Amino acid sequence: MSYYRGICNFCGTGCGHLLQVENNRVRGVYPLPGHPLSRGRLCVRGWHIHELLQTEERITRPMIKEGDSFRPVSYEEAIEFTASRLKNFRGREVACLGSPRASNEENYLFGKFARAVMKSNNLSLTSDAGLEESARILLEGCGFPAMTGSLSELRQAEFIMVVGGDLTKQNPIIASEIHFARRSGAFLATISPRKTQMARLSQKHLRPNPGTIWLLLEALARALQTEGLVKADYLDDKIENARQYLEYLDSLHLKQVSELTGVEEQEIILLARKFYESESAYVFYPVGIQSLDRRSMSALLNLFLLAGKPGRPAGGLCPVTGISNLLGSLDMGVSPAFLPGYFPADKEISWKRLEELWQVSLDRTPGQSAGSCLLENQSLRALLVVDHDEEIIRHINRIKELDFVVYFGAYQNAFAGLASVVFPRLSYVEEDGTYTNSERRVQLSQKKVEPPAGIRPLWETLSRLAGALGQPWPYKSAEDIMAEISRVVPQYSGLSYEKLRASPGIKWPVDDLHLSGTEYLLAEEAGCRFRFVFDRSPDRFQNISSVNEGRFPFKLVVGRSNYFWHQNSVMKRTFIPKREYNALLLLYPKGFVEISEEDARALGLREKQPVRIISEAAEIKLAARISPDILPGMLYIPYFIEEMISGFLHHQASDLEKNEEFFLPVRLEKVE
Amino acid sequence: MYWLSGDKVSLLVDRLAEDYAVYGPRRDEVSGEVIFDRLNLLSRLDLQAAIPYNPPKYVLFPQYEEIIKYLYERQSRKVTIEKIDKLQPKALIGLRACDLTGILCLDRFFLGQEFVDEVYLEHRQKLFLISNTCVRPFPQCFCVCTDSGPAAREGFDLDLTFTGQGYLVLVGSRKGQRLVEEIGLQEAGPEAMARRKKIIDESVSSFDNFALENKAWISRATNRLTTGFIKPEVWEYIGNQCFECGACSFVCPTCSCFNVEDVNRMGGATDRVRTWDSCSFEGYTKMAGDHNPRKPVEDRRNKRFFCKLSYSQSKKYLRPGCVGCGRCARVCPGDIGLPNVVTYIRREITGE
Ligand code: SF4
Ligand code: SF4
Ligand code: SF4
Repeated sequence: MSYYRGICNFCGTGCGHLLQVENNRVRGVYPLPGHPLSRGRLCVRGWHIHELLQTEERITRPMIKEGDSFRPVSYEEAIEFTASRLKNFRGREVACLGSPRASNEENYLFGKFARAVMKSNNLSLTSDAGLEESARILLEGCGFPAMTGSLSELRQAEFIMVVGGDLTKQNPIIASEIHFARRSGAFLATISPRKTQMARLSQKHLRPNPGTIWLLLEALARALQTEGLVKADYLDDKIENARQYLEYLDSLHLKQVSELTGVEEQEIILLARKFYESESAYVFYPVGIQSLDRRSMSALLNLFLLAGKPGRPAGGLCPVTGISNLLGSLDMGVSPAFLPGYFPADKEISWKRLEELWQVSLDRTPGQSAGSCLLENQSLRALLVVDHDEEIIRHINRIKELDFVVYFGAYQNAFAGLASVVFPRLSYVEEDGTYTNSERRVQLSQKKVEPPAGIRPLWETLSRLAGALGQPWPYKSAEDIMAEISRVVPQYSGLSYEKLRASPGIKWPVDDLHLSGTEYLLAEEAGCRFRFVFDRSPDRFQNISSVNEGRFPFKLVVGRSNYFWHQNSVMKRTFIPKREYNALLLLYPKGFVEISEEDARALGLREKQPVRIISEAAEIKLAARISPDILPGMLYIPYFIEEMISGFLHHQASDLEKNEEFFLPVRLEKVE
Repeated sequence: MYWLSGDKVSLLVDRLAEDYAVYGPRRDEVSGEVIFDRLNLLSRLDLQAAIPYNPPKYVLFPQYEEIIKYLYERQSRKVTIEKIDKLQPKALIGLRACDLTGILCLDRFFLGQEFVDEVYLEHRQKLFLISNTCVRPFPQCFCVCTDSGPAAREGFDLDLTFTGQGYLVLVGSRKGQRLVEEIGLQEAGPEAMARRKKIIDESVSSFDNFALENKAWISRATNRLTTGFIKPEVWEYIGNQCFECGACSFVCPTCSCFNVEDVNRMGGATDRVRTWDSCSFEGYTKMAGDHNPRKPVEDRRNKRFFCKLSYSQSKKYLRPGCVGCGRCARVCPGDIGLPNVVTYIRREITGE
């Protein structure tokens, strides 16, 4: 048959699709009817994945760099050479960057290679650590590191709140489920400074000033308190630090919040009431591409706990992952903070357990993300990278200084040129592998086409490298690796390929207590482990009102979520999505800055008029794009415009990528 | 009219498989849903299955198709252009009437106008088409409103109508006649025509009970769309819900928009590729230097429904551009498939 069941590999929704295969090539794609989450829908990216899968710009052979060019070599030679170089580095000298697009099996093994073979804990996924942050907060607050609810129940939702990001662009099919839920009666609220499509589809849109989402969320909690909806005794029973948190809230004045956020007090109270009164509630926030900031995530958790929402069906705290297997990759411990299965890296007991399972000794030196290593770690000498998006190129100068760089990739790209050795990798339709979507659904994607002659799976390449470095690994297939994962990662203990083959995915934890997976966090299981997560900093308002307001009256937000796929090396290999994502660039070839209609009117700006944006440190010239989606006082620049990454925003680059709540005080002048 | 007993279906299919690649509805093992697919295992053909999730249009208008190949030779400074390999003859078995009508619409677009599309023509000439009457409609159907079902009237080589024991076989072409004779089918007798009509009438009258998902008020909507008396707010309301995925065009049996790209292959040759496209995309109509940067999505939505339902477009297809299959409603992330849009237009008319 020519249509084969599979899973879309772009974003963390994990939609089901059918791939049409003809003469060993993927010629078309169609939504898979009956998939429990995507239910026969795909977004514009998903509808064109076959265009990517047909590209001939593949890396097909191992290559060693000699001078300025690459020499194709055999696997034997590449492995021998790589091993002979890698054995000179270990621990802090090495950093490893996994890929949130690669399978669980690949990421698990890559992590094992870093920790067990290279003895390095410098291991991470993307420069955005939002998912890791979210996992930490959720673990601390409710003992569960990922989405506490299940998307299958969304259509029964009574209340849904979407905070930050641009969900209809980032995870369109999850956004579609939310839209359907609203159409079947749920109350939908959006909190974001920008007027996103989600905001347009919502009954309520609160627009806090840039940088104040967290404050608005704390104010919602405070409103529950002032409205008398909080029962302290009951909370004491359930939540360890309830008293302290209530005290912390006491000092918050809604009136003051209203001034700082620009949201009316009455609106805050109404939304808090609505939230409280609904039987159960979903809250969504983005992680992975441009995550919600830490304070907002904790405020959201606290609000959820305070309103008594955990453990109810048709609801949950839902971090939404922007990239296909981001969650799975963290489950596999590709992170400085967690060993496989969310065992914290700062607990000795986690290491003991892993040493026993892996039968090797491990180094406990705390690790950093690959990105931080490139920025700060002077002892870094070697870098190992699995398929990546172009952002890492930003560190090009530091990468060029390194002694040894290994790249494992499926497609040719600019990064490969920086490597000392390149190994080819299979595309996701050429090999079995599991992928875990935002809602913890582990799905098996089966091999559909034969790879170009000679390309070996990444697990095999890593195993041979490990062998050459003195640790023979026994794996014969991706399935073997899953068998090991089920022993090492408790959340996956009940999973096997056999079980997954006949299912549309199973949501972890899958274990003795949850044989067929887990829909949502059960309150009684989580027991009394709830905790409010908050910082009692002496002045919670510091950083909010800028001292520079006079000289730099605008808040410049640099958006990645909305435009992430623009600069994405994967999208560049499609026709239609590339055209669609570039449609804007055709109109503004030198980039643009979005400004509200109100401000444009006040300044007498016309569409496309050149303006100068000036910050404390630098300035840049751009075309104005007048947008109804922007708040007065706010400016918005999409991140994909080259010049900004290198020039204007250079000094702020690492701050900017932390989260969407970050802004830069600037002023704007017309260029005459 | 001929008679094909249930146990003889495989005879027909096997005979076709000798000359054609056979396509038809089959069920997916895990989800049980129906897909119109190339049948490598002929036994997977399921003529009782519901209307497939995908329309058969990809068989003659593929999602991604190389149409020519060209090579520039440096030394001789010549360009050679080649047609891409000969296409395989294909038999489509178990077409629902709406989908067959869809193919007739595509014919009008690719063949019936000033230019004849040669690639399409070649696909088309090599097709063998067997339609299958819907003896009972499916929940999403509204072909009775768009005059395209539940039974086929023209365009088939053979047409099947299930009676409970076997199939009444109507011959629609000389190719069809030859096949029927080759496999030795018997005449179905004098009442066969009346019997077929009765089955179709029963099907039509059961729409009220079974086709419950979509009640489309097509004719009134057509009127409104053509005269343009629809308030901009209605389009804005619809446009706000569009996720711009393109699905409504991709799954529509009559949508024929395409995009052309040149792709450089290893070895120096270039393939000219035709792919599906959609009017819901911003880039579809955009050109460099466009002076209307905020071209709203509602205008593009408006265009699609105009194309499906207005009189002027119907003149092009010689029928409405919508064949009532209900697919766009199922795949739309925004829940604004054609039937819902018709409902919004109706609400506006009736002020409900
Ligand atoms: S929502 Fe995500 S997983 Fe689904 S089709 Fe779009 S890109 Fe693919
Ligand atoms: S417009 Fe919708 S219902 Fe009508 S033929 Fe196209 S896909 Fe089917
Ligand atoms: S299927 Fe729906 S969301 Fe997608 S382009 Fe068509 S109308 Fe828009």
